[in-house]
Amino acid sequence: MDRTQHLAMDELLALRDGEGGTSSRLHVEACDECRRELERLYQVQARFRAMPTFTPPRNIWPRVVRAVQRRRSRRRFGYGAIGLAAAAALAAVVVLRGQPVEESAQPSDAWVTETSSSDMGPIIHRSRELESILRTYRPAQRVYDAPTALAVSVLEDRIVLLDRMLSEGRVVGADRAVLVGLWDERVATLETLVGLQAVQEDRVWR
Amino acid sequence: MKSDTLVLANAEVARARAGDLEALEAVYRAFQAPVYNLGRRMCGNEEDAEDVLQETFLEVCRSISRFRGDGSLWSWVRQVAVSKALMLLRRESGRAGRSSNGGPIPPDTLGTSPPEPTAPIDLEAALGRLSPVTRAVLWLHDVEGYTHEEIGEMMGGTASFSKSQLSRAHKRLREWLV
Repeated sequence: MDRTQHLAMDELLALRDGEGGTSSRLHVEACDECRRELERLYQVQARFRAMPTFTPPRNIWPRVVRAVQRRRSRRRFGYGAIGLAAAAALAAVVVLRGQPVEESAQPSDAWVTETSSSDMGPIIHRSRELESILRTYRPAQRVYDAPTALAVSVLEDRIVLLDRMLSEGRVVGADRAVLVGLWDERVATLETLVGLQAVQEDRVWR
Repeated sequence: MKSDTLVLANAEVARARAGDLEALEAVYRAFQAPVYNLGRRMCGNEEDAEDVLQETFLEVCRSISRFRGDGSLWSWVRQVAVSKALMLLRRESGRAGRSSNGGPIPPDTLGTSPPEPTAPIDLEAALGRLSPVTRAVLWLHDVEGYTHEEIGEMMGGTASFSKSQLSRAHKRLREWLV
């Protein structure tokens, strides 16, 4: 290290942080100006650490709580539905396990309204179509490979869950947009399931 | 920062991890001031500091069950707060028309520099005059005690990036401070 040249800022900062090299340390011992500068850096750091603190506003926690509660109530709606499995869930299980499709013997008024409504009617119709297609793919004792069996099982469980959510949604008078969303997801899940069955069928006949 | 155990009993932390709102409020009460101050110092204004405080505790409430207790709760909360503050700086940087796609935060993209002071200024004013990224690096390193490697990683850059920002900050402070 050239003793006639002062240390650069990064070298001084490294020394302050206990990371400087031997040559820097030797230079500081011999150079008053760099020693003063190093001392100044220590002081600036100490002054920053001693800066006054600000008091946080009081209205933040209530906002956090509201957001947390909103999130929890959304989740409760989803999970609570599991405990209130109704006819729709049973119907779905029956459909997917290979029994003849049976409409609920006494459909609720809400169900009838949904089926004939302009926003949900087409989705429900599509859902039934897909169930019909699924029935054609269902030999009594189908043997799947392990990944397909797992995928089919997950999709079937998802449909059961969706049906339970739909059922509770009707009971609690859920927002129509929520019901439409559930139906949409049911159709999408059924489509995936049909796709899987079609691939499986193709393999069987090859 | 006092040890968590002085502020929160283990049982309270456990209840917070289970989602108990009263216990979560105790966590909030214990750490709201340091989180707010961290946000205020890093972002340089009240409004952003409030955002940092709120976003941090929303995240804490969402994720505290994942806190495994292998470090102090304060370290974990502070890490969340720093990442929220940096996210805010990144967003501001994006608004200023620069890259905000996860790369390093450009150091001098935020606002225009005020004219050089003609007389020495105090510490508070000097801190406020630094560019937001330079200020954030200075605060994280010199006050919060993060290493350059940690800062570089958090900012999507390198340790050298952090070192050069710190060096820049102190050069400016040398010119400005009383």
